[in-house]
Amino acid sequence: MDDNPADVRLVRAALEEHRIIGELTVVRDGEKAIQFIEDIENGLRPCPDMMIVDLNLPKRPGRDVLECRNRSGKLRNVPVIVLSSSDAARDRDDSARLGASLYVQKPSRLDDFLGLGATFRQMLGFPVW
Amino acid sequence: MHHGRNAVDVHSQAIAPQIPVADETAALWDFLENAGVAFHWVAEDGTILWANNAELELLGYPADEYIGHNIAEFHADLHVIDDILTRLRNDETLTGYEARVRCKDGSLRWVATSSSVYRKNGKFVHTRCVSVDITAQKGIRDLQQRLSAIVESSDDAIIAKDLNGIILSWNRAAQRIFGYTADEVIGRHISILAAPDRVDEIPDILSRLRRGERVDHYKTKRKTKDGRILTISLTVSPLFDAHGGIVGASKVARDITLSESQAEALSAANEALTTANADLEQFVYSASHDLQEPLRMVATYSELLMRTFRDQLGPDGAEYLDYVLQGALRMDQLLKALRSYTLVSTTRKEPVDYVDSGNILDRALANLRPDIVASGALIIRTPLPKVKLHDFRLEQLFQNLISNALRYRKGTRPEIKVSAEPENNGWRFAIQDNGIGVDPRYKEQIFDLFKRLHSFAEYPGTGMGLSICKRIVERAGGRIWVESELGRGSTFYFTLP
Repeated sequence: MDDNPADVRLVRAALEEHRIIGELTVVRDGEKAIQFIEDIENGLRPCPDMMIVDLNLPKRPGRDVLECRNRSGKLRNVPVIVLSSSDAARDRDDSARLGASLYVQKPSRLDDFLGLGATFRQMLGFPVW
Repeated sequence: MHHGRNAVDVHSQAIAPQIPVADETAALWDFLENAGVAFHWVAEDGTILWANNAELELLGYPADEYIGHNIAEFHADLHVIDDILTRLRNDETLTGYEARVRCKDGSLRWVATSSSVYRKNGKFVHTRCVSVDITAQKGIRDLQQRLSAIVESSDDAIIAKDLNGIILSWNRAAQRIFGYTADEVIGRHISILAAPDRVDEIPDILSRLRRGERVDHYKTKRKTKDGRILTISLTVSPLFDAHGGIVGASKVARDITLSESQAEALSAANEALTTANADLEQFVYSASHDLQEPLRMVATYSELLMRTFRDQLGPDGAEYLDYVLQGALRMDQLLKALRSYTLVSTTRKEPVDYVDSGNILDRALANLRPDIVASGALIIRTPLPKVKLHDFRLEQLFQNLISNALRYRKGTRPEIKVSAEPENNGWRFAIQDNGIGVDPRYKEQIFDLFKRLHSFAEYPGTGMGLSICKRIVERAGGRIWVESELGRGSTFYFTLP
């Protein structure tokens, strides 16, 4: 859930780099993200294995998305990673309070960004390699 | 001795007792000589022809030192006695003419002289002078005049009122402040000055006065003649009569409208400034954050481009792209530093607890571990005290100073000593290195924002580390400075209360 195609592309590259094969659904604003969660809850969409949420989303903030996910029974056990450019302690604290499994600040270096793939693997419960 | 009879009022004959003429004359003379009022006769040239006992007693002279002398010898002001004599020669009647006379003991007394000339066949025989000692009254009158001059010249309104609140006196400042003349308000009730919402105060003030209480520097509102509302500082004190009874009140009113409005304007300006400053810091914080976003794109995609298309770029293309990347990364650092700088003041809450600066130093050293290992630096430390500062700020302070010491090293192995000594109820920390040192010319400048003494290639850095340190220390009420010589290492000192 991110409106920046460049970041989406990097996330995709990080997943590929770490051989995480699957379907990546991209939602580009907060309203659509909430709709997406409601669709899953209503059985209109399959449940994902992991969610990556940006806090700074158009229309509805990432915090609303996290709250919506908390109300959802089906997504309760799905790991949520907040991937944000912010380094503010408040954003970090709020994310933890709103049930995020992990908070990651978007790295400025390519290697660090691609290295996130290892973190994703861990969150998905894949064997570390 | 007929003149003696003529000197008295002719009407007295109507009630004069029937006594023989000789006895009558003797009685009159006895009366003149011994009456409690000073009498004298003076000739046309001023020679004293006769003076009674009361006059001699008033001045303290024996008869022979006074009678036969010229009256001018006994006057303090020659022009006054000249005027008196001139007027009398012109047959003026003087009433209560005030003059200063000199007594035998050298003292001066004020007398009020009433006099006229007794003429016989048109010829000046002598004056008929009666003098009353008014020295005491004169003193009281002078004092009254002085006091009323003070009241009149006061910048504060001074108003007397009786216990019913009726205005009895009204000075010039009262007119200036409230706009009413004395004629307009004397006799009227003090409530004409009350501001519409303060009318209730007046009975309260009056009842306090009746109990003998004062009202001191009471801040209130009053209304002027033309309806303006003033802020007034009021002091009202009861006035007592000679027997201690309360007869009224004196009221001193100071117009503080201007100073009041100045104070309000100042505090409003101050508040606006604080808000503007906070807004500005918030702006810098947000701007540096938002600017970092596109920059991160430039950096990561330069790297991605380099990695994916290196072969197509060729050596020149790869070099150019590397400059793009390095520029973006450097700007990324600058923006991060700018954010920490503004963050120093955005977290306003001051710590109440002491932190162990030794533990905080451990944290800073752990953060710097890769640099310490790479440079082979030797860190020497003395036991460090507990200080009152946010732990993350102290950590940043240590980290910036030690990171500088590591970065600005000479070819040799860096040695960095961290110590603290008590000073003025607080502590003075010292971070000493054996690095390249700071030219004393720049010892102030290096704490300025973005100030750097070296090219980025020589010694990388943002030029913000020391400004952040300075901001942290000064916000905590301390001071930071450097002592150094070029090539001989530097010692950075900072104090914490």
